[in-house]
Amino acid sequence: MNSIALVGAVPLLRTHSTGNPCAAVTTGENFAIDCRNLSYSVKTRQGKLIPILNDCSLSIPSGQFWMLLGPNGCGKSTLLKILGGLLNPSGGFLRVNKPRSFVFQNPDHQVVMPTVEADVAFGLGKFNLTDNEVTSRVAKALDSVGMYEYLQKPVQTLSGGQKQRVAIAGALAEACKVLLLDELTSFLDENDQVGVIRAVKNSLASSKGTTALWVTHRLEELEYADGAIYMENGRIVLQGTALSITDFVEAQQASYIKQINS
Amino acid sequence: MYPKLLSSHPKLLVIFPSPPSPNTFRNPPEILSLRLQQHNSCRKLEPHIISCTANSNNEADGSSKNWEKWMPRNLFAAEKVFGTISGATSSPIAQYISSPTTFLHTVDPRIKMAWLLALCILPAKSNIPIRVGIVIYLALLSIWIQPTEVWKDQLGRVFLLCGVLFVLLGLSTDSAPSLLCSRSPPSSVTGLSTLPASFEGYRYVILKLGPLQLTRKGLSAASTAACLTFTIFQSASLCLTTTTSEQLAFALRWFILPLSSLGVPVAEVILTLLLSLRFISLVFDEVRNVALGIVSRRINWQQLTTLETIDVFFTYIRRIFKNINNHAEQISQAMIVRGFRGDCNSYKVLLSAGSSTTIANVVSFSCLVGLISVVTSSRYFYF
Repeated sequence: MNSIALVGAVPLLRTHSTGNPCAAVTTGENFAIDCRNLSYSVKTRQGKLIPILNDCSLSIPSGQFWMLLGPNGCGKSTLLKILGGLLNPSGGFLRVNKPRSFVFQNPDHQVVMPTVEADVAFGLGKFNLTDNEVTSRVAKALDSVGMYEYLQKPVQTLSGGQKQRVAIAGALAEACKVLLLDELTSFLDENDQVGVIRAVKNSLASSKGTTALWVTHRLEELEYADGAIYMENGRIVLQGTALSITDFVEAQQASYIKQINS
Repeated sequence: MYPKLLSSHPKLLVIFPSPPSPNTFRNPPEILSLRLQQHNSCRKLEPHIISCTANSNNEADGSSKNWEKWMPRNLFAAEKVFGTISGATSSPIAQYISSPTTFLHTVDPRIKMAWLLALCILPAKSNIPIRVGIVIYLALLSIWIQPTEVWKDQLGRVFLLCGVLFVLLGLSTDSAPSLLCSRSPPSSVTGLSTLPASFEGYRYVILKLGPLQLTRKGLSAASTAACLTFTIFQSASLCLTTTTSEQLAFALRWFILPLSSLGVPVAEVILTLLLSLRFISLVFDEVRNVALGIVSRRINWQQLTTLETIDVFFTYIRRIFKNINNHAEQISQAMIVRGFRGDCNSYKVLLSAGSSTTIANVVSFSCLVGLISVVTSSRYFYF
């Protein structure tokens, strides 16, 4: 099932910009996330419109693990919230496969129930499943993130990385088609960081057709991605392979250092 | 204001800096430097004021300062309060212990709740041997079920609290009896013999300690209060350490479900309870983290006035509420993202989770019935 939002009478586009490596071979139907000329602005108390996103276009193929990078305040989280349906865009075309799940940056905001298994099962209430099906899905989701032995642990006894994995398991248990992950590794140390990324990768491998978009600041995480998008000032600057984005960011860093030293 | 107040004191000769010109108030940096100057001049005054008062005290009574060293100083100092809060454990007390799995873990949460209710009522309705028996039973059960460090800590604190309560209530209940004046004249006036003492050795006053006395009434009141306190704390601790929040919610829902026919929103109550249980740890974390934030700023509390210290405390409380509201907002957003649309009934899916064994349930329920029978029958025996 797809969710299509056409805002501001923008024509539905089926062709893709040259920045996307998959554009030449993939049609719009094969993209899990597809948005064109997306814009979002907020209104101040004085009635002034402040643009947050400008003319953002991106296409992410189904079943892949992509990353979204950019400096602080460039609009990454806002774009992710629009893709997750938490915010409505001011204009543009948007299509995201459903069901989609959103995992917040702070796991304490995501984990709702006091015990691990009850929290993972929380999102399953809407599916009208039997108790056995719920238990089975919970066990599978927790197993895929390596948290099965923590089934009955109180949430407050878990570390930040473990809570983050429980949050991911909650999203996976819903058998979502699109997984939107907002800076999950911000609060984590190196071990937990790698553990969480691997947990996501493993779960994508075990559930065919699931697509993940991961917002991050850390360049080293790009090695796990199938593709990446770079944003700046509310615009998508570049969309391509993880390697091309790494090269682009490193070139930017080099020019910045050169500018400082000169 | 200070010159006016202090100059009225005959022992203080204070020289204050000249008053600022009106123009200085138009310039904020100058006001700040002026404020600092005033602050410094006030600090310089401090030793002079102390020395004057010290001299006058010594003149009047040379040993008057001896008692001061016994007085606790800075008992509620802001530094200590924030230090204690920031160093507190992040885990709520009596939280669920998932392993090792014990006998109580395998008992149905509904039976555990019935036990909890019975242990809150029975001590008040039973006699002293039964009360002592219940206390010993709970203490032994705690030692058997809970990990060593948990029961040692828990039992130690609860026994101390109950011991203090027992001594205070036992000795104070009848130690200050109201003066009674009999309507009839005493036996010395009427010539009649006094009432005979008990042939069975009955004594109302059990023990006398100077002005204090332990009477039968005091013993009964003290044993009731101490036993009730012990059973409530210890049985709740046992229940919480062996039952998950969801199991408790399931048991409570089972008990209050009949009320739904009277219009009680049972599903909403249970979901609210679960969210509250989840929120307890977040509140603990916030209280600790904000205190830690204040401690890490290395505030020189000695330089702050009382009002400024109170202001920091209010800022602390305001910040906690702001952060908790922020958490609540984010969690409600997460609930919406995870598909919650206000139908609380759909979130009972895993409330019945957890295994309970038939043998454990039968044994536990039989013991409960046995205890209630013993307490009920003991009321018909004389003690």
